[in-house]
Amino acid sequence: MKRLWEHIGQTNSASAAYLVAGAVWFFVGASYGLTTAIHLVSPELFNNIPWLVFGRTRPIHVNTVIYGFVVSAGVGAALHYVPALLKTRLWSERLGWLSWLFWQAAVVSGPICFSLGITQGREYAEYTFPFDCCVMATLLLLLVNLVMTVANRTEKSLYVSVWYILGMALWTAGVYPIGNVMWNPPSGALPGLLDSVFLWFYGHNLVGLLLTPAALASAYYVIPRICKTPLYSHTLSLVGFWALAAIYTHIGGHHILQAPIPNWLKTLSVVDSMAMIVPVLTVLVNLWLTARGRFGMLWNDIAGRWVLVGTLWYLVTCIQGPIQSLPSVQKITHFSNWTIGHAHIAVLGFSGFIALGAMWHVLPAVAGREIWSRRLLHIQFGLMMFGLAGFFAVLTTAGLIQGHAWYNGETEYRVLPEIAPYMALRAMLGLFIIAGALLGLINVILTFTRGPRLAPPVEIVRPAPTGQGVAL
Amino acid sequence: MKMTPALLILGGLLVFWTSVFIAIFLPAMTMRETPSDIWQPWTAEQSAGHDLYVANGCSYCHSQFVRVFDSGHGANRVSQIGDWYDQTPAILGTERTGPDLSLEGGEHPDDWHIAHFVNPRNTRPQSLMPSWEFLGHDNIHKLTALMQSQGGLLAKRRMDGEQTDGSGGQNYWKAQATAAFEAGPDANIQWLHENVAAPWRAMPNPYQADQAALGRGQLYYQQFCIGCHGSVGDGQTPAAKYIYPPPLNFTELDGRLWQGKYIGGIFYYQVMNGITGTAMPYFKRELESEKIWDVSNYVAVRFLGYTDAGLYPYGIGVSYEDPSWRNPYLVSPATQPAGRPAAAPARSPQ
Repeated sequence: MKRLWEHIGQTNSASAAYLVAGAVWFFVGASYGLTTAIHLVSPELFNNIPWLVFGRTRPIHVNTVIYGFVVSAGVGAALHYVPALLKTRLWSERLGWLSWLFWQAAVVSGPICFSLGITQGREYAEYTFPFDCCVMATLLLLLVNLVMTVANRTEKSLYVSVWYILGMALWTAGVYPIGNVMWNPPSGALPGLLDSVFLWFYGHNLVGLLLTPAALASAYYVIPRICKTPLYSHTLSLVGFWALAAIYTHIGGHHILQAPIPNWLKTLSVVDSMAMIVPVLTVLVNLWLTARGRFGMLWNDIAGRWVLVGTLWYLVTCIQGPIQSLPSVQKITHFSNWTIGHAHIAVLGFSGFIALGAMWHVLPAVAGREIWSRRLLHIQFGLMMFGLAGFFAVLTTAGLIQGHAWYNGETEYRVLPEIAPYMALRAMLGLFIIAGALLGLINVILTFTRGPRLAPPVEIVRPAPTGQGVAL
Repeated sequence: MKMTPALLILGGLLVFWTSVFIAIFLPAMTMRETPSDIWQPWTAEQSAGHDLYVANGCSYCHSQFVRVFDSGHGANRVSQIGDWYDQTPAILGTERTGPDLSLEGGEHPDDWHIAHFVNPRNTRPQSLMPSWEFLGHDNIHKLTALMQSQGGLLAKRRMDGEQTDGSGGQNYWKAQATAAFEAGPDANIQWLHENVAAPWRAMPNPYQADQAALGRGQLYYQQFCIGCHGSVGDGQTPAAKYIYPPPLNFTELDGRLWQGKYIGGIFYYQVMNGITGTAMPYFKRELESEKIWDVSNYVAVRFLGYTDAGLYPYGIGVSYEDPSWRNPYLVSPATQPAGRPAAAPARSPQ
């Protein structure tokens, strides 16, 4: 049996490293989520334990899930399917490993540093300067690796998944240093109100230009493959891709709509929030028409089921998002658990479900082994679907209670007993998601160690040749 | 359109950086921040408090700006650009599990904050905030200093105002309250009563102290009062360790009622407006009229065995109330001070 380091440099080894890290961080991040949720039910359960105090575990949960789980799993899948789509090998597996190492250093700094109160404190931008540098190193190494892979391709045309993954690295390498104010290392912030403009440009594009392209790239890869059909429309792919870049980048202001930022910035953010309908629906229409008549194939393939349901969560998220950007709606929903519910279906429901689907889809090819237990995958899906749907219902309800009560003149303190049962339900539902994360982690590890070997190793081909109007 | 690597990369960069120009560079070039009308620089201690606020994630439950349509805590001034001048980072926040803190300064005296930071349930029995005792005495004082700076000049007025006409700040009234407390229970209660507006002193509780009302009063007492005054109303609570003057022991009121009989209006006034300078906060933004009268009846009946509910003066009876109700709490069997009405009076104009 080979030692771990002997795998470095082998085809798909960097992909495997990212996938395993994603599975691990999902479990760690979800566990921190439960710890955080318990505070809102029983604030003295972890009384005076500094590293478990709410204000420190919450950013650990958020950052670990976003960077550790969703991005690791998404990039892991991409490092497999981008070379496959280009009919070549990843330009450098070693560079892939190096990027992985920097990424894991950044992610692990969350549980360690935040537990000790070492944080820049700005929501989603908490990682301190050295670890911001690690994130940047990863993005630039990935960019080099991907561009060189493209340069060395044997397939002439670039499939839409490749656009999104390249765009993800290209854009996030711009978004991240701006949002983290990396030219000001100690605080990672600007003085005054302007900082919030930078922070929410970043906070929103973290979802829009990092999580979304990663998820859409995976969906564009997995759905045609499982359905064994060509992509419905090249034109819609183009519209969706460019509209995402042009529109998503303007809407961060809706997070601070009720603060005294310039009015034109507020207007811009609301108008472009509504305009998000364009990139969202073009992509969804394209994906669903690709699968038309074959949704059964998608549903019956457990990896495809995850991706399919991820696209449904995308629809829900992206109908809810524009609506809650409207000032008259935000009057009620802002500051409440409504937003927490929205964040969970966006990160876990949309990008998380698709990352998991992509992971399970490519894992046999990456590991050279069959999934250890498909039955376990079905159980994991059921647990997570129930947990997340319940989360969404409970948090949205709690948010409406809070928002209406506040608007009716009640103080935050008066509303706490009103949301108490929902906070308890939320913590209980979190157990389902953690159970899902744990089963997934076990399944990943056992696939790598005990999954039935595939012989000969499956050859990865790009999605079936594209049809009308799909000449790439 | 054929997607080539060059188009993808150059086009991607062009679209992205154009957007950055609009959404980031334009605001950075055009937003001018100058200190607002209430802005004040932080002291070193307040700045250290802000570092703790950032490090411990206070911003995940507390916002730092007041909106046009907010009511409640801090809602007497809508936030303006310039309020966060020179603050790094100014974390406006995205959630309100707890109240907005942008105008927190001077809402409470320091001792309330310290008791609250050590264990939030000390002063707010239903709070979900974690205990911050582990941060230690020095850090809790720094956080308290930060809290008292929130709201700049408004906060400074609330803390250091020196007028004696009732608009004085926490520090002015703290000195008065401390002197009264140290002069003994008679002088203390005399001082407390004298600082209730005159019409309220001779106002009996207009709500009947029936079992349902006392039950509601007990609920509000548990939600708001029990942390400092305790389950038997003696003020011997964990919070009392941090609060000076300490929470009132209600049983001390026995024999010291205003004109020997009035208690309801005095309680109402003190619950409504609080006693600035002491840890007793105002509750007028959290409890509507009936709730304050109910808790007043509950405190009076539960801890004194006496309430002035139903005493004269009164006007036309309230439609829902039972006119045959007689106040059974006019005589306290344990102690019968002189001057108390000995029996329930007939409900007729006198």
